[in-house]
Amino acid sequence: MEVTHDKFIFRVKSSYLYHPDECWVKRDGEQVTVGITDFFQKTVGDVIFIELPETGTELTKGDEAGMIETIKVNVTLISPVSGTIKEVNSGLGDNPQWVNTEPYGEGWLFKMAPSDWEADKKELMEARVYFLRMEEKIKKEMAKG
Amino acid sequence: MEKKVVVLPCSGIGKAYGEIGRQAVYELVEDLRPDDVTTTCLGRLMIDDPEAKALVQNKIVITIDGCTQDCARKTVESSGKKVECALRVIEAFKKNRDLKPEGILELGEPGFKLVHILAQRLNEEVDRLMRKEQQNV
Amino acid sequence: MSEEITLEEIKYDKVGIIPCNGEEICEGTLTRYASRKVLDKLRPGCTVTICLPLFIAGDKGEQNFAKIFPTITVDGCDKRCSQLSTERLSGKPSHSIIVSELLKAHGIKVPQSRRTLTKKDQVAVDVVAEEIAKKVDEILEENS
Repeated sequence: MEVTHDKFIFRVKSSYLYHPDECWVKRDGEQVTVGITDFFQKTVGDVIFIELPETGTELTKGDEAGMIETIKVNVTLISPVSGTIKEVNSGLGDNPQWVNTEPYGEGWLFKMAPSDWEADKKELMEARVYFLRMEEKIKKEMAKG
Repeated sequence: MEKKVVVLPCSGIGKAYGEIGRQAVYELVEDLRPDDVTTTCLGRLMIDDPEAKALVQNKIVITIDGCTQDCARKTVESSGKKVECALRVIEAFKKNRDLKPEGILELGEPGFKLVHILAQRLNEEVDRLMRKEQQNV
Repeated sequence: MSEEITLEEIKYDKVGIIPCNGEEICEGTLTRYASRKVLDKLRPGCTVTICLPLFIAGDKGEQNFAKIFPTITVDGCDKRCSQLSTERLSGKPSHSIIVSELLKAHGIKVPQSRRTLTKKDQVAVDVVAEEIAKKVDEILEENS
């Protein structure tokens, strides 16, 4: 799904679930993959450095799960679900720009084994619900000028 | 003596990187290597301006892009000219993360420190490419 | 019954400003400062700057915006790089400004440096920015 506001095209991947703090979650068998949304990467700017949790780290939903640094801001990442970090995207060390160019693909951040998926997924939004929320945020940002 | 090198910044206006690259080129062209290096407007290549095309034709061309969009490199290449060295401001910024510019055009002290670092880097590339050309003659 | 939306029905609420960003002369630097002044201070919310290098390099967002919304090109000199590029890639701009001609018409001296603008040069920035803002208002008025 996509929407254009001014010269910016904002994309949402239909098959993913979304957390209000602008990260997406994709179920991959027993694991989930986590990344940040297209809207968020456009807001924060070009990513130059990413700090990700170590493999094996156990996180509770809402815990800090790393940091993104751009020329504009340093932003804390949060874990959208509880679970254990199984893999991090090591390619982002040399290619942090993947978070900007491919936020729903090559720019994934980490994979987790969720500890309570049934409970946690209830707090995630389907793509069409997130899309409407994203549009509201965009309109508010545009109105600020 | 005719100048041997042309350096083209992207001068992007949406991000601070564009201004940083632009200022680095000015420092190189006006302060560090006024005898060897010149610049021209990227837009002139786009409109097939004959003078601009002639300028880059027989020279070593270096591009300095703000980010991974590589607008300057792509524009020069689409005009039919090979780019000998393509640099990106974002790569210099990654190595100097504490030097965050204060604005998109008003870079402030940290922004200008990054400009100096980049100008030096460009200077080194000019030396390398001019030496290489000498060896090939 | 199919819905047809004609161009006349679209109300434009934004204008794209496309500065040439020319590096060779100080008027190119002026296009940058004046355009950002309009975007950030004079007409925030109803203007967008189009990055000419990105536009030329093929960014769909920049090119599509310029195809749909009205644009003002701001060129440093009579080479008209921004105007010609816009015509080639998206369509005729609604208005075109040439800074060198504008400054001459106002009797304002061209800044000495292409690298930095002094406080005195701010007059030149203000004149160009006001002209752009005036044209933004005219375009939005015509299209409302």
